[in-house]
Amino acid sequence: MKKRIYIVLAVFTAMIPLGLLSDAPAWGEWETTYYKKILGFIPQGIANAKEIKTPLKEYSLSAFNDVVGYYFSAFIGIVIIFAVFYLLARLFRAKRS
Amino acid sequence: MHIPDGYLSPTVVVATYAVALPLWAYGLKKLKKSLNEETLPLIGALSAMSFIIMMVNIPIPGGTSGHAVGAVLIAILFNPWIAFIAVSIVLLIQAVVFGDGGVSTFAANALSMGFVGAFVGYYTFKAFKRFKISPYVAGWAGIVASSFLIAILLGIEPIFWNKDGVPLYFPFGLKTTIFALVGSHMLFFGTVEAIFTGLVYNYIQHKNREEV
Repeated sequence: MKKRIYIVLAVFTAMIPLGLLSDAPAWGEWETTYYKKILGFIPQGIANAKEIKTPLKEYSLSAFNDVVGYYFSAFIGIVIIFAVFYLLARLFRAKRS
Repeated sequence: MHIPDGYLSPTVVVATYAVALPLWAYGLKKLKKSLNEETLPLIGALSAMSFIIMMVNIPIPGGTSGHAVGAVLIAILFNPWIAFIAVSIVLLIQAVVFGDGGVSTFAANALSMGFVGAFVGYYTFKAFKRFKISPYVAGWAGIVASSFLIAILLGIEPIFWNKDGVPLYFPFGLKTTIFALVGSHMLFFGTVEAIFTGLVYNYIQHKNREEV
């Protein structure tokens, strides 16, 4: 089971640049300019939303092209996910003993 | 399907966190029971797979795009509580590291894509268990149910939170959100989630049967 899950993960990870083929946003996840254009105004809450500073905004690295940024983001994401589960496992074990 | 910050009124933000907190607590208890040296790499890799497939944006007619979630696969391979926690962890990382989905809306996103998707998928899988198509149907049903909750949460915004009819948060009503979100998931992303869940489930289970 483990080996096959890793194979599938590797295949999908290799395929992620496909996600860059379209720059169409997800429905509802528009830039604020979209609301200005469609409604004539930007709803107050959306205009005032505090955007938190994130290290890899929109899965891209400003210094590199999109594909490099995407692969790098995928790598970082996977590493953090495994790290979180590992830390949770350690935390659970520490609590048990 | 990732609701950004600023789209939901504070009332809905508080309500979704109030609902999600006890569910996370219970889910973490379930994870504590099943997380060990054998399951950690599997749960980690399946969560990573969820993260990865959410990066594969698929364009659809009408100028928008979307993606599969992968919650149902974890739900039917492990259990829906583990899937809920796994997808929540993925969504939290997406919000704070990649700016995908809001922080105030994290609970709303986790309840929809994680909780509702995982449980609807899991019970659909059980209901159709005699049939070969069950993981496919489960994947479809799970993500469509997720999109339904997102559509409700967004669609009620302009009804209850407006100033003299001018929406303060997400501006489009239920008819629009249900048509656009649930419709696109029934037709397109549900199909993608179905194929993903079915193919990967069968591929992974196949190996299991050989080992037995």
